[in-house]
Amino acid sequence: MRRRAAVASVIASAGVLIAGFQVGAAVTAGRTTTSSGTGTGSSGSTAGTGSTGSTSSGSTGSTGSTGSTGSTGSSAKDGTFNGTTVQTPFGPMQVAAVISGGKIADVKVLQRTDQGGRSVQISNQADPMLRSEVLQAQSANVSTIGGATYTSEGYLQSLQSALDQAGFTG
Amino acid sequence: MTIQNPTRPAVSPAGGSLSPRARFRRRSAISDLLVVIAWVSGPVAASLYLASGGLADVKDVGSFFTALGIVTGLIGTDFILLMLVLAARVPLIDRAVGHDRAIGLHRQLGKPALYLILAHAALLLIGYGMSSGFNPIAEIGPMLALPDMITAVVGTALLIAVVVTSLVAVRRKFPYEFWHVIHLLSYAAVLFALPHQLSIGGTLADGTVQRVYWIGLYVLAIGAIVIFRIAVPLFKSWAHDIRVQQVQWISPDVASIHLTGRDLRALGAGGGQFLIWRFWSAGTWWHSHPISLSALPTDRHARITVRVLGRGTRRLTAVKPGTRVSFAGPYGIFTDAARTSPKLAIVAAGIGITPARALLEGSQLARGEATVLVRSSTDDETFLWSEMRKLAEARGAELFAMVGPRARNSWMSQHDAARGVTLRSVFPDLDRSDLYVCGPQRWAEAVVADARAAGLPEHQIHLESFEL
Repeated sequence: MRRRAAVASVIASAGVLIAGFQVGAAVTAGRTTTSSGTGTGSSGSTAGTGSTGSTSSGSTGSTGSTGSTGSTGSSAKDGTFNGTTVQTPFGPMQVAAVISGGKIADVKVLQRTDQGGRSVQISNQADPMLRSEVLQAQSANVSTIGGATYTSEGYLQSLQSALDQAGFTG
Repeated sequence: MTIQNPTRPAVSPAGGSLSPRARFRRRSAISDLLVVIAWVSGPVAASLYLASGGLADVKDVGSFFTALGIVTGLIGTDFILLMLVLAARVPLIDRAVGHDRAIGLHRQLGKPALYLILAHAALLLIGYGMSSGFNPIAEIGPMLALPDMITAVVGTALLIAVVVTSLVAVRRKFPYEFWHVIHLLSYAAVLFALPHQLSIGGTLADGTVQRVYWIGLYVLAIGAIVIFRIAVPLFKSWAHDIRVQQVQWISPDVASIHLTGRDLRALGAGGGQFLIWRFWSAGTWWHSHPISLSALPTDRHARITVRVLGRGTRRLTAVKPGTRVSFAGPYGIFTDAARTSPKLAIVAAGIGITPARALLEGSQLARGEATVLVRSSTDDETFLWSEMRKLAEARGAELFAMVGPRARNSWMSQHDAARGVTLRSVFPDLDRSDLYVCGPQRWAEAVVADARAAGLPEHQIHLESFEL
């Protein structure tokens, strides 16, 4: 009887792991097609969580929004501006801002945090939500997405640096 | 003082009309199913990670460590929740495998679970550290800045305390109460660990099936504890309103505690089961004792018999009549319900006579179906033997007594070992028998070893060991 239980356990375990793997593969495949639309080299696009403790350590030269260009809001340069890569314990996060006619026309995700197993649901939900919020508010100063707080913070921090480069002050 | 003899030929509650064989098949099917569910829950936990597409994130050594860290955390937590369920005294589990086996597995899981959780912490420090270019020690700071990490660390510390105080070598050094209080902290450990699982790990992110499953596990484990360890015993204790009737000394160090209560037959206690008792007197209320019924309960009356071995049991035998008694149970499958074979063989020694007596009393037996061997080292330890003799007569069972100092490397008396008595000579039908063994741990294990050596299959051996 105990052998029966052992055999059943092994078979069931194998089944469960294979099923998990299959689902995971399907999820990953779905993710890759989504992220290829943004035209980035980022393969794994799970949105990760960045800790405030370590973002500061890795962010490379955020120019800061001290208004060094001295320009007004309408004088923002048109074009696509890549934000700085924000390092999180889960991997880098980077977005690009597309400025057109002095307005934020689009936000593209260049790199998503790709570690920590943050699920694709979050990524797929949070990115478009952030994008539409940003486009509506015309600012990186929008509230973070519930349940994806750290993804949001990385996203918005990178976006702010892109806007700074563009001289976009809102 | 009279010894109360139950008047009713008792019917085992779980007996039903099924044959022992059919009952055994059903029970082992349930038992196997539970075992499979328990073990497969580990791989399911790992699968939660796989299904979230985690493997795609593994691209370098750092992310590999991170992945491994997540999986060890999931499986470790699954084991801990499993341990809660095993300790919850769920009736289904108790009836299928018995309380002692459930607790046995609970104990076995303790160390692996702790190792997995520690590995989880270490692997993630390495993995995150490598991703952000820190060494694992330098990563501790940023790691603690993650949400809910402080509680998680506290939970881990509590878990370490719980497991360490439960190690056999350590546990012996402290009184039971100390261990017990520390052990209660495991509930806090489990709850403290939950927030960081839900807020940091992506596998259990908001809106995922994984999160629903995981919270379900927590609800199941905590719910089982709350219902079966707290609510049901409280309610039953209140409903049956048990009080001490009298304490009756039946040998220099053995006392029967007679209890009165309401509708005690409705407890459904089978002969051979035990309850976990708490006597609400000044010196005893903070300590509960698992004690077998030494007679089947009647509507108004129940009886337990205890041997005084330490301060706790000494205080127990000093309770005043009228003392309120709360309880949990009945538990255990040292009963008729665990029968698998046509014949019944009972071997009991010392205080182990108590469940053996109740078992004999609670079994429906054909004449000649049961054979009983009672064993003691001295004539002083033959308490309840006269009752056993009467019961054996009434049930048409054969009764053998074996008195005398124990022979080396044997569970028998020197005299009987020397004259070549064996299990088979006492129980000629051993192969077609269920062997029920109850007595002091070492002695009982010697009997079981003897039975195994005689080729008795495992499912025909029923052991109730008394550490008290």
